[in-house]
Amino acid sequence: MSLLTNVMDHSLDEGYAEAAAARGGDGPYRIPGTARGLLTLGAGLALVGAVLTVGAVNAHEAEPTLAKERDALIHRINDSNGSADQLQKQVQELRRRVDSTQQQALAPGEVDPAVLAGAVGLAEVTGPGVKLVLEDATGTGAGGNVDPRSGQGFSNSGRLRDRDLQLVVNGLWSSGAEAVAINGQRLTALSAIRAAGEAVLVDNRPLVPPYTVQALGNGPKLVGAFESAMAGQYLRLLQEKYGIKSTISAQKSLTLPAAVGVTLRTAQPALPEPSPTASPPASGEASPSAGPSGSASPSTGGTASPSGTTSPSAKPTGQASGKRSPSPSAKTTTGRPPTATTGSPSAATGAARP
Amino acid sequence: MIAVLGLVIGVVVGLFVQPEVPDAVVPYLPIAVVAALDAVFGGVRAMLDGIFNDKVFIVSFLSNVVVAALIVFLGDQLGVGSQLSTGVVVVLGIRIFSNAAAIRRHVFRA
Repeated sequence: MSLLTNVMDHSLDEGYAEAAAARGGDGPYRIPGTARGLLTLGAGLALVGAVLTVGAVNAHEAEPTLAKERDALIHRINDSNGSADQLQKQVQELRRRVDSTQQQALAPGEVDPAVLAGAVGLAEVTGPGVKLVLEDATGTGAGGNVDPRSGQGFSNSGRLRDRDLQLVVNGLWSSGAEAVAINGQRLTALSAIRAAGEAVLVDNRPLVPPYTVQALGNGPKLVGAFESAMAGQYLRLLQEKYGIKSTISAQKSLTLPAAVGVTLRTAQPALPEPSPTASPPASGEASPSAGPSGSASPSTGGTASPSGTTSPSAKPTGQASGKRSPSPSAKTTTGRPPTATTGSPSAATGAARP
Repeated sequence: MIAVLGLVIGVVVGLFVQPEVPDAVVPYLPIAVVAALDAVFGGVRAMLDGIFNDKVFIVSFLSNVVVAALIVFLGDQLGVGSQLSTGVVVVLGIRIFSNAAAIRRHVFRA
């Protein structure tokens, strides 16, 4: 405090008092009388004025510089945004051209690639269907928001296993489902339902219970077929014996997302046969028809054939054909047949075998 | 009369010559401004007290500016530049305030 008091008390330079004392007490002395004193005062004040002005000018100069820099940054942001918009437009335009080229490349009788994309899971599909919710038995420590990785594992029989889920999905396919997604993961021909450690994985993504299986198809019919088939009985057995709850309900409108990361690296599309009417053979694993024979039925033309009892593919006129985003993926046009009806429908999920 | 003239000349010089402040000096400019203000207020108060001395005024002004800049420079070298600038501004600000209070007492007798 003494420091502050000292500053407060001696606010005036002590040189003034000393100079006054040295001069003697001959009255107040305000303005220097001599010309030299006046000049010194003037020079000092000029210096003070110059310092103050330079400081003020400097501060005001720095301001526009900052504003200029900000303006430049804003300009660059706007420029980048503009070019990004332009690129986006270009992408859309190119997609449109790809789509139209696809349309032109296809013979008139063949199926729209967008439909195919929906059928193989590369495009969003919407339509009526069923929603099946499977919940682990209560008390298994794997309720709603428990990390499946930290659960007690499948040793606890109250938990749904990957095999159960495979059976359910196969049952849905065989009951007439045209597109299936588990917890928002769309099943494609490359999908696998498996267990890793203590988690059920779909397409290498761990699922968190409750498991919601959505399937597109004729809702009530699908429910009936599923309930009476083996999978439905199996679910009832699970409920009775292990307390695994399952609720199935027909839905008026479901939207299944597109699958991501379906990339063929080694499989090459087989060349289509020269005959314009015959369908080319299936092209390996990207086709949902990768059945036991490995090839699709060549007998089907432009429409999904009902030759199989069930069709895992969304028919162009089927329930799953409501709203399809056109897929830019070229994979769907690589000489594969428009339909994929033969073979076991349960093979459509690839590894989905108990 | 000559005081006002000197002030005006200084402002005009600062405005129109626009001296390029070297980058090395820029950090000390705010301190110099505060020191200059302190010298002006001290001079005015001394004038009203009747003990003004032009030599004391100009020497105190120059030494204030130089010492304040030196302190801040030293602080910059030691890594406490901003703290020392704050200290200089606080001390000079207190002086300006109490000098302004003394001037107010002289002018308004209150």
